[in-house]
Amino acid sequence: MIEIGRLCVKIAGRDSGLKCVVVDDLGKGFVLIDGQTRRRKCNMMHLEPLNEILKIKKNASHDEVVKELKKLKIEVVEKKGKKKKTEKPVKQRKKKEAPAKEEAPAKGAKEKTAAKKEAPKKKQEKKKSK
Amino acid sequence: MPAGRYRSRTLRRVYKRTPGNKVKLVYKKRKPSKAQCAGCGSDLKGTFRGRVPVMMNLPKTKKRPERPYGGVLCSRCARRKIILASRQ
Repeated sequence: MIEIGRLCVKIAGRDSGLKCVVVDDLGKGFVLIDGQTRRRKCNMMHLEPLNEILKIKKNASHDEVVKELKKLKIEVVEKKGKKKKTEKPVKQRKKKEAPAKEEAPAKGAKEKTAAKKEAPKKKQEKKKSK
Repeated sequence: MPAGRYRSRTLRRVYKRTPGNKVKLVYKKRKPSKAQCAGCGSDLKGTFRGRVPVMMNLPKTKKRPERPYGGVLCSRCARRKIILASRQ
């Protein structure tokens, strides 16, 4: 009675009253169902078989089941999944900066900086003379 | 002898220890009756029993089972109703 592709109504649990399709036989009275319900293992006693049988393969994916159900005008409302928790930013301790030692700059560097400072002054003087 | 208004058993009696380490008799209102199935009248399982201020602070999911007709019909009556609807 309950074979792969059989359209059923779930009659127990929080998905009761929703339509589903048998996707796989798990043995010992259990089947895998999918459709309007969640894709899950289910006891056969909790299913009420209907007349229709859908053409689906064993272990068909959720998309394939939804496509077949649409042909029978049974719409599947996708529930929004839980949002993945983003990791909290971990504050890093500020390292105490050691007081910077005043290093004596190299002789060449000192001359260059001095030359740079003088350069704009020279330009201004030239402008004034003009 | 308790006061006249406390002599009936409409209120339940609770012994409470006070901060001063004395035991005192406190009169409290009783719990409401159990919820019953609208179909067969049997007591419903998974429904919470409590006074309003307690119920107000409880989440909806703890007050009744999470299935269609949860808290109204028992599981047997709900199942029968769903099966009948599917066969029509």
